Amino acid sequence: MKTRMIRALALSAFAAAAFVAVPFSAAKAQDFKGPVRIVVPFAPGGTSDILARLIGPKLSDAIKTSVIVENKPGAAGNLGAEAVAKAKPDGHTLLLMDVGNLSTAPSLFPDLNFNIQKDLAPIGMVMFGPYVLAVHPSVGVSTPKDLVAYAKANPGKLTVANSGVGAVNHITAITIAKALGIQWKNVPYKGGSAASRAVISGESNTIINGTTATLPFVVNKQLVGIAVSGDQRLPTAKDLPTFKEAGFPAGDAGTWQGLLTTGGTPAPLVNKLNAELKKILAMPDVQAKIAEQGGVVKAGSPADFAKWLDNSVKTWGGVIKENGLKAQ
Amino acid sequence: MELLDNLMLGLSTAFQFKNLLFCLIGALIGTAIGVLPGIGPIPTVALLLPFTFGLEPASAMIMLAGIFYGAQYGGSTTAILVNVPGETSSVVTCIDGHEMARQGRAGTALAIAALSSFFAGTVATVVIAVLSLPLSALALKFTAVEYFSLLVLGLIAAVVMAHGSVMKSLAMVLLGLLIGLIGIDVNSGVARMTFGITELSDGIDFVPVAMGLFGLGEIIANLERKDERRVVTSQRFRDLMPSWADLKQAFPAMLRGTAIGSVLGVLPGGGAALPPFTAYALEKKVARDPSRFGKGAIEGVAGPEAANNAGAQTSFIPLLTLGVPSNALMALMIGALMMQGIQPGPQVMTEQPALVWGLIASMWAGNLMLLVINLPLVGVWVSMLKIPYRLLFPAIVLFCCIGTYGISNSLFNVWLMLGCAVIGYFFIKIGVEPAPLLLGLVLGPQLEENFRRALLLSDGDFTVFIRHPISAVLLGVVAILLLAMLSPAVLRKRKEALTE
Repeated sequence: MKTRMIRALALSAFAAAAFVAVPFSAAKAQDFKGPVRIVVPFAPGGTSDILARLIGPKLSDAIKTSVIVENKPGAAGNLGAEAVAKAKPDGHTLLLMDVGNLSTAPSLFPDLNFNIQKDLAPIGMVMFGPYVLAVHPSVGVSTPKDLVAYAKANPGKLTVANSGVGAVNHITAITIAKALGIQWKNVPYKGGSAASRAVISGESNTIINGTTATLPFVVNKQLVGIAVSGDQRLPTAKDLPTFKEAGFPAGDAGTWQGLLTTGGTPAPLVNKLNAELKKILAMPDVQAKIAEQGGVVKAGSPADFAKWLDNSVKTWGGVIKENGLKAQ
Repeated sequence: MELLDNLMLGLSTAFQFKNLLFCLIGALIGTAIGVLPGIGPIPTVALLLPFTFGLEPASAMIMLAGIFYGAQYGGSTTAILVNVPGETSSVVTCIDGHEMARQGRAGTALAIAALSSFFAGTVATVVIAVLSLPLSALALKFTAVEYFSLLVLGLIAAVVMAHGSVMKSLAMVLLGLLIGLIGIDVNSGVARMTFGITELSDGIDFVPVAMGLFGLGEIIANLERKDERRVVTSQRFRDLMPSWADLKQAFPAMLRGTAIGSVLGVLPGGGAALPPFTAYALEKKVARDPSRFGKGAIEGVAGPEAANNAGAQTSFIPLLTLGVPSNALMALMIGALMMQGIQPGPQVMTEQPALVWGLIASMWAGNLMLLVINLPLVGVWVSMLKIPYRLLFPAIVLFCCIGTYGISNSLFNVWLMLGCAVIGYFFIKIGVEPAPLLLGLVLGPQLEENFRRALLLSDGDFTVFIRHPISAVLLGVVAILLLAMLSPAVLRKRKEALTE
């Protein structure tokens, strides 16, 4: 009893010390020995992969050791995330992914072999990419108001293509429909590009998806843009109102990319990585590349990220559970 | 005239010295990875993607594209020589190509494969240049309804294609369909037959199954036949080349294969497997004596080889005209474009004409280079057959392991392949053909996905399949094939042909 109390006291004292001490004694460069791996749990060429390959060399310069990007796709990112969760907690194995996927995983996959909040340690958010809600021209609407009116007049006639059952754009579609009291049909596809293709061909007629995948078709008049998520209108499509202006919920829905490492990694190491990540994200060329990906830089502390994750697990996970979207 | 201007622009880009060099590098790498069993273009392109960062966009795309179609050339080599498909697209080439090799005609088979690929590549380049826009419009007409009907046709073709017992090939297709069910169901999100194994949630990968069932199973079976000497005919260049009669026999098959490949390549989803399988089935259907197939028919090499190469090239059409990838490799190419700061989408063709037309023109240059590289190499490859089994087999097993591991950096696929090797050996012992199983495995999940999506969108109305004209025609062809197959006269003829 007594020893346990002492241990707890010692631990909290240590934790407090570590917390307080951080700004003064940040981890030293030689804390990183041997290669650091950034695991991207998706196929190469996607946003996470491009970000990892953008950040990797700059991180390598900063921590003076080689940084390798490793693609480990499979199971909606869970395979790669699990590999990082079960790695040695020494800050040498990082995970860069769409953390929306991560936050929905516990609700979607009850068999998940790791705890996303305990076995992974957030380092920092990297970027946010807003969604565009767009419809096929055959629907014949071009404003949020008309869309809602159409949906109310024709229940079930709007078919919303999503990139998979329980994907964040699926959850967003459910959330919007519920809040506006409309009925539309959710049509799952195998990934975002299959969904895009389906809406361009008119197989489905509505899509909520990333800007880089959607805006070119809006510009080309193959799709009609209705609204965008995020706090601000897009600089490249100023005439599209935000979800908030349109009266839609889920204003923060979109692609959130974040950097994490193995849970239990010493705080000084995590903070060192966070500090370097923030410096990298402040570089003009990095910001330009992220803008090309249709996103905005979202640098923040590990604590901010943890809070975001906690929140998303609750809200998005809640929608999944409410609607029985479990992969079981 | 605009077409000529565009082609001139493309040629002037593609024939810049540095672009020719990158085209050659891509073609060489592609040939090499195509020859190595299991190591496919996707992991290779993924690996090289970061290196293209520093190149000009046109050079980068030209090189990456070269790897892709180069691999289609190389993939047939190991398929013909040792029955190990170098690429998924060359599974069909194993059937008759390897049989030709066993009869001592490896050189002819390799040369026909290279010539068919070149012919198809050249035609496909013209198809891309002239027909990109109409073909991408056609691809957009294919919704879930049309896909379902096309896939049904593909599966029926699998049964038609098999030689030997219809019962056995039906059983193999069904087994393939069942294995295809493993993983998370796209429509409901339910995990099926995964037993809590995370690796199974995306389903069973095609490559390890193909490597195991075909290549490694064959190797185990070969180990039993102790003293069988492989026939290596004379190595003189003239004897390695196909005769005039061979070419005459193969040419119509090349034409048909190219046509099939050009159309099916544009459609997303069918992937690398559908064009060669369909071409093979067609060759067997139109042949005067279908019983020759499986016993070293030269059309069985020419048709599928032409189809896979044409398909590989026309699969660029959706990427270039719509900015939508039609397969995993095209998704990588989109990634390469985005890394270069080029926004993929329908505007690429008008905003980046030098890039798009340069890429198209480079395909023809690349195909010519590949022919020049490959024809002289035929002799080298054939002499590979002289390598003793005790050296050759461990090397093949090693490359297969590296290749399957590389698909997604996972050991799981290696074990899966080794398991399939045992099953493949068993299949050889009981005399069943694994090709229909593979087709079932590839097409099954898509068949279900599109069937259920079509019904979801039509509120469960089954008549959509006959109300859509394209779908109705495809299903009509299926009905005719089925009737022809089931009619007793045909059955009798089939039996006669088999007993011969």
